[in-house]
Amino acid sequence: MKLKFGSLAALVLFASAAHAQSSVTLYGVVDSGILYQNTSAANFSGTAKNLGSVWQLKDGGIYSSIWGLRGTEDIGGGYKINFKLQGSFTTNNGKPGLSDTPGATALFNQFATIGGSGWFGSIDAGRQIVPMIYAMSDTDVRGAQYFGSILTAWLGLNQAAGWPGTSTNAPIGALYDSNAIVYNSPKFYGASLALEYAPGGTPGQFQGGTRESAVLKYSNYGLNLAGVYYNGHDTNPFPANYPTAPAAPATGRNNNNFYYVGAMYTISGFSISGSFSSSNAQSLLSKATYNFEMISAGLGYQFSPAFKVTSGYYYLKDRNNSANHSSEVAVGAEYNLSKATKTYAQVGYVSNKGTMNQTIIYGAPVAPGRSTTAAMVGIRHAF
Amino acid sequence: MKKITVAGLTIAALAAMVSMSAWAQPQGAASAPAEAQAASAMAAPAAAAPTSKQANRALRRKVYAAISKDKAINAGNISVRAKGGAVTLTGTVSDAAQIGKVEEIAKGVPGVTSVTNKLTVQKSFGGM
Repeated sequence: MKLKFGSLAALVLFASAAHAQSSVTLYGVVDSGILYQNTSAANFSGTAKNLGSVWQLKDGGIYSSIWGLRGTEDIGGGYKINFKLQGSFTTNNGKPGLSDTPGATALFNQFATIGGSGWFGSIDAGRQIVPMIYAMSDTDVRGAQYFGSILTAWLGLNQAAGWPGTSTNAPIGALYDSNAIVYNSPKFYGASLALEYAPGGTPGQFQGGTRESAVLKYSNYGLNLAGVYYNGHDTNPFPANYPTAPAAPATGRNNNNFYYVGAMYTISGFSISGSFSSSNAQSLLSKATYNFEMISAGLGYQFSPAFKVTSGYYYLKDRNNSANHSSEVAVGAEYNLSKATKTYAQVGYVSNKGTMNQTIIYGAPVAPGRSTTAAMVGIRHAF
Repeated sequence: MKKITVAGLTIAALAAMVSMSAWAQPQGAASAPAEAQAASAMAAPAAAAPTSKQANRALRRKVYAAISKDKAINAGNISVRAKGGAVTLTGTVSDAAQIGKVEEIAKGVPGVTSVTNKLTVQKSFGGM
């Protein structure tokens, strides 16, 4: 009898422990479509040849295809422990997305974080999408989507600053940072602050490979405002032919500065956005310096809860060489078939001058110095 | 009928004024008089012409103030239009549960008689 009580007590104990465990969610999105583009290039070199028009099955017309696991444990007192593991993959061939090193893939290339949240806000440590991207997404009618948006415009700056596109280690700002510690404050009357610090972990170099960023956001009365400051040391150290040629060693050089201010206003189904950005970078390999300007404007209309049309205009300018500039327009329509599935059709046009090669969609390089048109239809399903 | 709505709106405006200034009080001496001043500025035209643009604007502001108290909802992506006591919500929220929640908050604002909810879900960057 005693034994029975003992096991019962143990059972109750386990039951309560299991209850405190909270939930783990497996989730993901699969996004694929057909893309036509009238120019293409083999890489992001500013002098790459035009390889001609291309028809392709294209992953990620809205955002990349992803899968992940996330969970939260309530540890009492209003505190929670949170984790998130998320990786992107290409639906065309099943391959995982880019990591911070060329040629090496990462299972969880978008998020691998553990952190805590409570009255103070939240802190998350590990590889993650950095606050500046959310700030840009919140102030772009196109939502920093993979097709013709503030994201592809910002990547255009990176390409112009010598990013070979083979890793996520970018010369101007960043989409993902490894080793990042990110703090998000709670909201005060719609205002919030995000701070990021990523120690470089470079022996003998305190500043080597570090990243620091700050984002100030306001979101109320139909208005989103965002200001971004991003600073990186020893960024983009990899040559296009890495690992045949070695990466530049970390010396603690401050070579990545990105500033951005943006606003978006939403009223009666209409959304309107605008932004201005200034950035500078220095190549660790060639020692060349870069200085850019980026301007965006957006307009969208939600016709019904299931159907919306968004458009954007993106302008890039090389302050060191006026021959290099780029203008892009993109229009997209999204129709929700259900809560979990949407279809989309989008068209983009870019006029690249000089060595500029701003793409229309992420992952499909265009020929530099000339105009390109692209169109895509696709489907996106969340699970 | 119109007179009843006038009285109702006036009471609602006064109630809001009292609750707003009471709520603003502990925030600091500087903000409290500013809030009270703003509230009385809103209440005065509301009493004179309750269906006027000012009254609609005042109600719209009150709905936004109520939504923004929720820590998880970003009121910057939501459009609130008020006409008389009828409120129309458009724009986006970051998850499906927030659609009903915003409607509930709006319905709870004094002076709101009906809510037309056209909100949709827009996950933050990288999501659906």
